[in-house]
Amino acid sequence: MPRLRVVSRATFMDMVASLPASKLDRLYDSHWTCQAILRSLTPLAKQYVMRMLYIDAPIPNKSLQEWVLPDATVKHKVAIDKLEQLRILVDVSERKKEVTYRLNPKLQNQLRSVLKSGGGIPRDPMPSSIVARLPTATELENYAIQQWELVILQLVNSASGEGPTAPLNKFIQHIFQKAGLLTSRENETTSRITEAGFQFLLLERSSQLWQIIREYVSAAEERGLDNGELIGFLLELGFHIVGEPYNMNTLTGMQQKAVEELAILGLARVQQGMKDRWFIPTKLAASLSTNLSESSSWQPTEGFVVVETNFRVYGYTSSKLQTETLRLFVRLEYQLPNLVVGSLTKESINSAFASGINAEQIISFLQKHAHPHVAPKVPTVPETVSDQIRLWETDRNRLQLLPAYVYEDFPSMDIFQAVVAYARDIQGLLWEDASTRRVVVRGELHEDVRSFLHRQNTASSQRK
Amino acid sequence: MMEAPAAAYGVEDDGDMEAEEAGRDMEAWERAYADDRSWEALVEDETGLLQAQDKVQQQRQHRRRVQASSGLHIQRGIIRYLYLIIDLSRAAAEMDFRPSRLAVVANCVEAFIREFFDQNPLSHLGIITIRNGIASRLTDLSGSPEAHIKVLRGNLECAGDASIQNALDLSRSFLCQVPTYGHREVMLIFSALGTCDPGDVLESVRNCKEENIRCSVVGVAAEIYICKLLCEKTGGIYSVAMNEAHLKELVLEHVAPPPALAEAAVASLVKMGFPQRGAEGTIALCACHREVKIGGGYTCPRCKARVCELPTECFICGLTLVSSPHLARSYHHLFPVPVFEEVPLDAKFSGIQELSKVCYGCQQLLPLAGSKVTGVRLVCPRCNKHFCFDCDVYIHESLHNCPGCESFCEPQT
Amino acid sequence: MDILNNIESSVGNKHLLLYIMWDLADDVSLVIVVVDVNPYFWVEKANASTGTSDIDFEQFLQHVLAFMNAILLLNHMNYLAVIATGSDSCSFLYESLAGESVSDGEGKPPSKRMNKHHTPSAKIVRGLKDFVSKELAFKTERKDNGKRYSLLSGSLSMALCYVQRILRQDPPHPHPRILCFQGSPDASQQYIAVMNAIFSAQRLMVPIDSCMVGSQHSAFLQQAAHITGGIYMKPPHPEGLFEYLMMVFATDLHSRRFLQLPRPTGVDFRASCFCHKKTIDTGFVCSVCLSIFCKHHKECSTCGASFSQNKSSFVTGQKRKLSTN
Repeated sequence: MPRLRVVSRATFMDMVASLPASKLDRLYDSHWTCQAILRSLTPLAKQYVMRMLYIDAPIPNKSLQEWVLPDATVKHKVAIDKLEQLRILVDVSERKKEVTYRLNPKLQNQLRSVLKSGGGIPRDPMPSSIVARLPTATELENYAIQQWELVILQLVNSASGEGPTAPLNKFIQHIFQKAGLLTSRENETTSRITEAGFQFLLLERSSQLWQIIREYVSAAEERGLDNGELIGFLLELGFHIVGEPYNMNTLTGMQQKAVEELAILGLARVQQGMKDRWFIPTKLAASLSTNLSESSSWQPTEGFVVVETNFRVYGYTSSKLQTETLRLFVRLEYQLPNLVVGSLTKESINSAFASGINAEQIISFLQKHAHPHVAPKVPTVPETVSDQIRLWETDRNRLQLLPAYVYEDFPSMDIFQAVVAYARDIQGLLWEDASTRRVVVRGELHEDVRSFLHRQNTASSQRK
Repeated sequence: MMEAPAAAYGVEDDGDMEAEEAGRDMEAWERAYADDRSWEALVEDETGLLQAQDKVQQQRQHRRRVQASSGLHIQRGIIRYLYLIIDLSRAAAEMDFRPSRLAVVANCVEAFIREFFDQNPLSHLGIITIRNGIASRLTDLSGSPEAHIKVLRGNLECAGDASIQNALDLSRSFLCQVPTYGHREVMLIFSALGTCDPGDVLESVRNCKEENIRCSVVGVAAEIYICKLLCEKTGGIYSVAMNEAHLKELVLEHVAPPPALAEAAVASLVKMGFPQRGAEGTIALCACHREVKIGGGYTCPRCKARVCELPTECFICGLTLVSSPHLARSYHHLFPVPVFEEVPLDAKFSGIQELSKVCYGCQQLLPLAGSKVTGVRLVCPRCNKHFCFDCDVYIHESLHNCPGCESFCEPQT
Repeated sequence: MDILNNIESSVGNKHLLLYIMWDLADDVSLVIVVVDVNPYFWVEKANASTGTSDIDFEQFLQHVLAFMNAILLLNHMNYLAVIATGSDSCSFLYESLAGESVSDGEGKPPSKRMNKHHTPSAKIVRGLKDFVSKELAFKTERKDNGKRYSLLSGSLSMALCYVQRILRQDPPHPHPRILCFQGSPDASQQYIAVMNAIFSAQRLMVPIDSCMVGSQHSAFLQQAAHITGGIYMKPPHPEGLFEYLMMVFATDLHSRRFLQLPRPTGVDFRASCFCHKKTIDTGFVCSVCLSIFCKHHKECSTCGASFSQNKSSFVTGQKRKLSTN
């Protein structure tokens, strides 16, 4: 079974950490990226940065260690490593005597100025007199979700075999293909969804978002854009106020291009006025910076699924994407304006397995998208249902092929039993039958069993 | 919505018989729905979702219920000595409660013990069990909830008959030793339908009355005469549970201190010391264990001896040592927050001041005439500050301070 | 039916729900800062100031504002609320939620939009100016100069109401904690109210941290930190206040499990008597209502119980066997 390439938030920061030192240092020129990167750290690492913020002298590692309680040294090491990777802590030890650190002076100055001035926003929104009509908060949210679902629906549509209803956006298609969610064979006219693509559909929105963004950034590199600058801009985007218009002219050419592409994903909305153009960040953009840190429980998930013990599934949704996602493993029975009802059947689940989704992914999808009414219950998905889904999965794996060796014609029952016992001891016994004196042992343990038999033989012959 | 039964069942209900007559041709579960008519409380909102009743109505109902249960400012005997008697006869093994009476009772008792010490910090509690017609003391009168719960958990099997007389005699023999300022109580959780006694149980009831022991009974099965008599004679409360939830409710009713009967406890002034806690890491010789201890510890204000735990008596000078927070936990009974009044939204409120927009406590938007916020708006009669429903609940049930009254300065007297 | 039942119980037993232990897996915090801005205290402090090792209100404010910025910097989701404690009133100066819902419908749209873009520090300073001018008006109105204490109990109560509002929202919530900057001495007449607030904080599992900026210790806040598991500290060098704030009070509840933090240096458990509001270490306690008195009375002023004249009844600790009359 192919392993899913789960790209979590942490790995986005890994990507940042893997930037060359010069690019990383350039990131710290902006206090927005400094803030975003600080917020992405683990709680302990954040505390270290805060504590060292106003210390100019290098600090020996030993005194850093005294900050933590004795049983938290592992956490301490993890935090220090991460800080070093991101070049937030710089090793300034002279000679090899003692490891001493200090904060990256650029970052230190930037953060100090933030504390003095108190944050604020990256650029002033445009005055309301110039801007024509701004979408309301709900309009904007609907827009963002609609845009995002449109993107994902392209993936779903290529799954249903009908072919894309709308012409697949080249840019998005490219990203999907790069992420391995769509096949990218030259000779095919329409690309098909891969197993990873199916699994991707079942992820939470924030994970999906980060996976796309990550591929987007690495794709940018191929297109000759500076990925350092792009990362910096993505991190900065989260500090804009959702729903406020920002003039496009305040952006560099590359950033303008990025905003236009992000608008396709629903991260921002671009509007054209009389002479200016402006972009309006959406909730999705804000959630980028929220999800940067590892506090995963902080993703607002809007649950809509109720699963009953009789395998019925109720999805309180009118979104096409959510309906389609459910359809991956649920037999939909009827659909009302705000509700779809279906049931989990062996066939529907099997077809999901066939497309590469596994039981745990289905169950975790049902759990993570549980309707608020059932979410507090433990377990959210009834045990009978989750167990049955797992059983159906194991059904598929009933036959297992293993290389094995058969041993037969044992001279005596004693030797037969000794071999069985030995094989069991080394956990290589697959099958035994005393009446016909046959044993089947794992192939890789053949040599062991053979030498054991050898020893038995010599021992018994010596006894004679 | 589902109104909790206000009166304790089984004590005085003549009207109940007729109601039962009328409902005879219905099954018990049907009756529950017929009385309730809970579907009538459902309202469809503009999006077609079913809402369980109007929020305002719901909040008013809650407030009414709370106000009904909180009486006037009563004098309460707060140092209580209570023996909790748990019937572990074979009747407790019956399965009419899910999963069994025993499990449900054990659950309730655990909750009761924790709540009891939370609300009666200086009180003492002990547990007696009845099994095979014999009463035995599980735990001595003491002040540690966890110790009681631990012992109780290890002693939960039931057998034989129940004997009220044995239990009463045993608890009386311990309770007559407690100091006179203490308030003596017995609380019995009774599952059996009869008592199997060695002598005259009425004699024991009389003795309890003489010793000023207040006996209350929570019945698990059905009302029985002897329990009713016991409670009537000694001034306790008798109630019988209808179901699991009701049982818990009835048991927890006994957590709050009972109105002290004037003659029940002799009032007295007790001299007490409030020791200071030493710094962490200091080394001192403690008087109670006669050992050198590091850190913590309290110093007797009179003789400066060091003790490890509170509350206790100083081992040198005999002064009763308590930690003042212990005492302070019960002061909210003495100075209750006045009940907030509801402010009508449409009428011009007294015409003088404009209605404040936000709750004084939590800064949440308050309902105004014509605004989208629903709910009731409440006002503290003392400081005239406005509060939301949730703050009202919190202020009266947990905080016991009115933020408004606390944040303006009363003219000094 | 179940849903109806749930709603019923969630209205009735909200406070019980809050007992549920939430896991401290992340560092998202709600910090409620209670600042003592009692003019009596600060004016006196300025007059008595000896110079280098002390800080005046302006410096203090700078340090605290930078600290608040740090809190907001640490996590995107952090909430901050600031409550000013005066000698005549208490009020919210700032709260993170205000921008989202509370200011809606307040004033005219343009001013509201401008409001949104002010930094928190600017809002706090503006709120503080209003508050102080109101306080000074009270002060001049009232002629007596004897009163110096701050209304700590009021601001703690408000802080807890606010905490409770945040906890009412759908989970996940931020982990709340309260930080008191206290300068004025304890007011023993607030004893009961402060204790009530402390116990409620304990039940909500909200630690109360305290940073003393005055010259003396506060028995109230020592007890608060002891009971709720907060940190109590009186910085030995007030001019370096910010360092202490960053090293100690910026630590979120999650990290507190791993970091070395100052240990308590003794707690003053003395109570205050009901009759003269004096702080006492030994006293007489009414056995009916537990009221504390500094002297022997014939009758309890709180509950009206009359005490027997038998001397032995209040010198307990000896044989408790009382003669029946």
